Amino acid sequence: MGDEDQKILVVGGGISGITAAIEAAETGANVVIVEKNPYLGGRVAQLNQYFPKLCPPTCGLEINFRRIKNNPRISFFTQSEVISMTGQPGDYQVKIQVNPRYVNDNCTGCGKCAEVCEATIPSTLNYGMDSVKAAYLPLGMAYPFKYVIAEEIIGTEQAKKCAEACHYGAIDLEMKPETVTLQVGAIIWATGWDPYEVEKVDYLGFGRFPNVLTSVMFERLASFNGPTGGKFLRPSDGKEVKTVAFVQCAGSRDDNHLPYCSGVCCLASLKHSTYIRERVPDSKAFIYYIDVRAMGKYEDFYTKVQKDENVSLIKGKIARVSEDTDSGGLLVEGEDITAGARVSQVVDLVVLAVGMTPGTARIKPELDMAYDDFGFVTGSGPSGIIPAGCVKAPMEVAASVQDSTAAALKAIQVARRR
Amino acid sequence: METKIPFLEVSDAIVMSGAETLYWCMQCGLCSGSCPWRLVPGEASEQFNIRLVQRMGQLGLEGFESENCLFACTTCRTCVDRCPRGVDIIGNVRGMRSMLAEVGTIPGSLKPIVGSLHSQGNPWSGTPEKRTEWTEGLNIPIFSPDTEYFLFVCCTSCYDIRSRKIAKSVAKALESAGVSFGIIGNEESCCGESIRKVGDEALFQKLAESNINLYNGKGVKKIIVTSPHCLYSFKNEYPELGGNWEVYHYTEILADALKAGKISPVGDSVGPVALHDPCYLGRHNDIYDQPRQIIESLPGAELKELSRNRKNSLCCGGGGGRVWMETKAGERFAELRISEALDAGAATLVTACPYCITMLEDSCNVMGKSGELKVMDLSELLVEKL
Amino acid sequence: MDQNIGVYLCSGCGIGDAIDIEALPAVGEELGVSRIVSHDCFCGPEGAKIIKDDLASGDVNCVVLGACSGRVKSEVFDFDLMNTIVERVNLREHVVWCQPAGNEDTQAMAEDYLRMGIIRVQKSTLPTPYLEALDKTILVVGGGVAGMQAALDAALAGYSVKLVEKETELGGHMLKWFKNTPTIPPYHDIENINLSSTVDEIKNHQNIELFTGAEIEKIGGAPGMFDVTLQNGAGAFKVGSIVLAAGWKPYDATKLGSLGFGQFPDVVTNVQIEEMAKSGSLACPSDGSAPSVVAFIQCAGSRDQDHLPYCSAVCCRVSLKQAMYFKEQNEETKVIIFYKDMRTPEQSEEFYKQVQKSGVIFVKTDTSKISITEGSEHKLAIEAMDELLGEPIQMEVDMAVLATGMQPAVIDNPILNLEYRQGPALPELKYGFPDSHFVCFPYETRRTGIYTAGCVRQPMTAGRATNDGTGAALKAIQCVELSSQGKAVHPRAGDMSYPELFIQRCTQCKRCTEECPFGMYNEDIKGTPLPHPTRCRRCAICMGSCPERIISFNNYSVDMIGSMIKSVSVPDEYEEKPRIIGMICENDAFPAVDMVGLNKMQYPPWVRFIPLRCLGSINLVWIADALSKGIDGIVLFGCKFGDDYQCHFIQGSELADTRMSKIKETLDRLVLESDRIRLEQISIDDYYRIPQILEEFTARLEELGPNPYKGF
Repeated sequence: MGDEDQKILVVGGGISGITAAIEAAETGANVVIVEKNPYLGGRVAQLNQYFPKLCPPTCGLEINFRRIKNNPRISFFTQSEVISMTGQPGDYQVKIQVNPRYVNDNCTGCGKCAEVCEATIPSTLNYGMDSVKAAYLPLGMAYPFKYVIAEEIIGTEQAKKCAEACHYGAIDLEMKPETVTLQVGAIIWATGWDPYEVEKVDYLGFGRFPNVLTSVMFERLASFNGPTGGKFLRPSDGKEVKTVAFVQCAGSRDDNHLPYCSGVCCLASLKHSTYIRERVPDSKAFIYYIDVRAMGKYEDFYTKVQKDENVSLIKGKIARVSEDTDSGGLLVEGEDITAGARVSQVVDLVVLAVGMTPGTARIKPELDMAYDDFGFVTGSGPSGIIPAGCVKAPMEVAASVQDSTAAALKAIQVARRR
Repeated sequence: METKIPFLEVSDAIVMSGAETLYWCMQCGLCSGSCPWRLVPGEASEQFNIRLVQRMGQLGLEGFESENCLFACTTCRTCVDRCPRGVDIIGNVRGMRSMLAEVGTIPGSLKPIVGSLHSQGNPWSGTPEKRTEWTEGLNIPIFSPDTEYFLFVCCTSCYDIRSRKIAKSVAKALESAGVSFGIIGNEESCCGESIRKVGDEALFQKLAESNINLYNGKGVKKIIVTSPHCLYSFKNEYPELGGNWEVYHYTEILADALKAGKISPVGDSVGPVALHDPCYLGRHNDIYDQPRQIIESLPGAELKELSRNRKNSLCCGGGGGRVWMETKAGERFAELRISEALDAGAATLVTACPYCITMLEDSCNVMGKSGELKVMDLSELLVEKL
Repeated sequence: MDQNIGVYLCSGCGIGDAIDIEALPAVGEELGVSRIVSHDCFCGPEGAKIIKDDLASGDVNCVVLGACSGRVKSEVFDFDLMNTIVERVNLREHVVWCQPAGNEDTQAMAEDYLRMGIIRVQKSTLPTPYLEALDKTILVVGGGVAGMQAALDAALAGYSVKLVEKETELGGHMLKWFKNTPTIPPYHDIENINLSSTVDEIKNHQNIELFTGAEIEKIGGAPGMFDVTLQNGAGAFKVGSIVLAAGWKPYDATKLGSLGFGQFPDVVTNVQIEEMAKSGSLACPSDGSAPSVVAFIQCAGSRDQDHLPYCSAVCCRVSLKQAMYFKEQNEETKVIIFYKDMRTPEQSEEFYKQVQKSGVIFVKTDTSKISITEGSEHKLAIEAMDELLGEPIQMEVDMAVLATGMQPAVIDNPILNLEYRQGPALPELKYGFPDSHFVCFPYETRRTGIYTAGCVRQPMTAGRATNDGTGAALKAIQCVELSSQGKAVHPRAGDMSYPELFIQRCTQCKRCTEECPFGMYNEDIKGTPLPHPTRCRRCAICMGSCPERIISFNNYSVDMIGSMIKSVSVPDEYEEKPRIIGMICENDAFPAVDMVGLNKMQYPPWVRFIPLRCLGSINLVWIADALSKGIDGIVLFGCKFGDDYQCHFIQGSELADTRMSKIKETLDRLVLESDRIRLEQISIDDYYRIPQILEEFTARLEELGPNPYKGF
């Protein structure tokens, strides 16, 4: 390994992308990350805890951010996306567009701009469940630790006010999108996943009833830096949530939606049941499943959750969610197969275990990789681009990290001059 | 609990009888949870679990044969549309019923229907001669090679006194629109859609063969039907037996005529109208917009959507042979529909299927709501304004 | 190096508004620092230039920067750490953002932090990396799919590889398989296996030396310098790091009494089915006839507290595949799969669907309750509760296949035979699998430079095992690269410090050799520790364990932290201003305290936080230092311990807890209340608890009254 090696480009700065980048860099490669959000960390930065240990993602992110800070071989662009690419393994030219943050490197993170800003925007971090100031630090653990001025207020008095409040000349309202061309030897594509648009499963009521949330929204609801400060409050009226129905396969394992299994949702819902059970002592959780898929050692976690008598696991796919006017909650209906009974359960909140769709179902790189019908990458194809993480298959964090570590070596093989 | 011994030879036979997707089922329970029987009380609601019925079929077990179990299925297609595995649940029901039909163990209420179809070619015990009685007083043309469309009137609207009004209004509306159509008459047989769903495959084949030979012999190329059930059968089941025609439901033809300006409804306001989407028009044939277009063309029409509409429409309870079976008052889907129409603020509930009319009107009367809500076929409402 | 310290005091971000910056230089002067500069923005171009110019001129070679947290602005303060000692004194997040402005207690806090920062630098030296571990050869143990891929990928990256396989042929279990589960879209069909291209590539690769029919006799040494000896004189060589890809073994089906294995010849395992299918005939062993009805019993041993509590992850897919073997042999064959949950994750759901379409029947039941008995006409009778039917069913079958689970190959044989004081095997995580405990770092093991891949790590499919081999090879390569530069591997990657022992004072108490979570120390006959620096992860748990205080690092030592503690100003007892030392984990608790500041939460001004590499590095003498100086209380923030521990050094926080329970006895003897020490498990997300913990602790200290040793 050495400086004569070519650079590796990692597209996507979620857990897969940053892992691939760090592992390659600690092995001696030079790496550049391109991330669309104003911060690194991707979906995991929006999670409350990981299964099965129920540990916070911030712990691993802190280590990984420290590894990036300490490693001069890693550079990155945030708020950026690839706009074109040409070439082949060993010789790629990639154009990226760096979108304006309207905050430059002078930002100290002091927060003066946010103090004076009166405009708000919906919080993308919290999936629109609340609002944030239009001058904002994306999250407490944000790396890079720099504020963002929202595009929405550019050209308004509010933006000017923010700029005037900054003592360090860090706010540049004239910033424009910039194009940067990178010459790299290898490309890792780690653009992650998106939650399925579960409003398409119309009988589950998402988008129609405020108390129907997706699993990713529930993570935010459970987070201490989330929209409710970690309190489980019913969106419709703010009442404390006592009962939650977790609806599995909300889109997954369904030929009308996502025919594949999203792999992680069973464990995610088991984990979610522990969130509510731990914080609301007299709460009850109901998990409606087809099969509980807790592979390998994760079985222990399933066994642990099963021991809580206030968590009910019911085999049966939910067929109907409707509003229950008496309680202000929701009525969940379906069949309880193993009990030979009907499900007719009134709950405060319904959480839909939404499936994963690969980032490559939405945006594919200009150079061809091989895909399956669902948009997952099945091979590098003629482009030689190396896929990593959830663009290949639904994966939990540990599997994504494992896969990205492997991708790092594949990239090193290519980037090393032959 | 008694230990059951699966008979896999029986399940093989069910598959051979048409339940080709029986094993595709992963037993998730979405079908049973989505079933309209879950919305009403009563025996069928308690006994009929479509998931469990298929499970028994998979294992070749007995115990699903009663009128309130396997024969409760109205083939409304809600479960089929939702099934995550693409299981043809109606096909499976048909296959299981076929197994029973072959050995003659179909519900008693269906036996006279089968008999009539065998002897008279229609399920209503009417003689073939009476098939055209509804045309009395009207000048309905007879189909000839110069006629564009063959108008096939559902047996129900040929024989049932109430339903004949539908046949008449459809014919009148077509005439107003200047459509070239004609009937064949007494030689026509029942399309066989419902009897096939009931499981009598041989009878269906016989009826279909007779119709196909008749229509082809007459030079039929295009068909207009009054019932979505006939539409389904002609369009989806006849082609593989040699019946290849363009088939339209009358609402499709009339919606086109409206668009083309060939008819323009006039007169007093029809007021608030709700539409019941028939299962066989909507879910089975994907026709949702044309009935609405017709309603909206009516003077003063105010379309009131029912809470369950379009692909989520609730069955009237008359499909799959249920129109010939008795469902107790208080346990009928049609009652829910009447209430929904009233809740929606409708004064008229229209639909476009003779079975639906039968079921809805009956419930409306039994519920004592006929003063508040008028149940009409869409053709009837339209014809009043032409 | 002669230290020339420059102290740079930033007044930006409100620091200058909250504290009197002008008063701080006195602290530096007390400690002999002459170059003290203040500026209102050291992270700006002008401010940064001041420091860089000082360094460039050679006037300064040690930087003490009193500004924001060391976790931010690292891209500006990116000094050459080979030639510069740097300390970031956190005046922003840890002082002015969490304390009232213009208050004398806030001022005292800032002064103490500056004092401690200067002392930390004064007690540090530049790194002198350990540069003796230079071997970059990768040893791969196990020639199955994971091992082969690890060997090949390391070779393709240009590294020399030694591949050791105990069988005479490469390929592992897969060599005996008939076909593989679908891996290519549309994931419907079982696939032929082609191992030969990989095997040939390995055999022909100039970077790979292959040892088949060989096993490891012993491995001594450390990363970058392992000494490997093969059994029976088959070879001895040096390697830099190791991939253990020893694979798995099937669970012993004879332990599954009620399933009749061994009792009925037609009860077979899924392993046997592969062999039968490969031989071309799936026949009943009893009479050689082709079965017309076959049952598969899933979770035969897996997901069963009496056998293997975990899920073996692949058996559902294997049985689906084997069901297709029977269907391919004769599509009339009836196949029934008895399962607990069908586990076909990701795209393999498509395969499940396809197998359903072929007419295979699935029965959901608790398979651990199934018993197989003799049926009629030499058939096997299976009775099971069909949970989908809600009734028990009984079926007669010609053949029953037990989907037996996976155990790691190391379950009863250490394989690597490590010459480590802590034992010859890789420490297991659970159930015998030497897997990582960390979600974010799945390749972590407790033996540095040894990485596991494939089914020895956890049950997985062949496809994933292959990919796992690649990942483990990367980690192995990374280890030799870092070791050769004298740098630590994860989690302190790049750290060039390592423990140095003043061995003359060692009393052979063995605490260090026992407590090191990574087995860094061997021992000589007398019990004297023999350090292997490249095994070390630099957590300094050994430093904390040593009662003689003979272990230190160039930039982290017992003396350093002790001196920092002693430098804290302690008001006399009449001032009613207690002092609390907070010793906290630098990875989790330190950022948590930053978060308190960022959220502008306030806590009592009496506490002084000192970040530690790991709470496990805490040495009891620091407690004594603090209490004897009159410090009123000590809080320790470490990571969660127990089954779901979050300590990245495995046992650090737990060891700290154990040590504290011991010191509490000592305190009781000194008539000092043991409540003066409090240990809390704090993750970053627990930041919101910190103010409350400190308030409560302060209240308790008030009840106890001032430390009587004040002023001594």
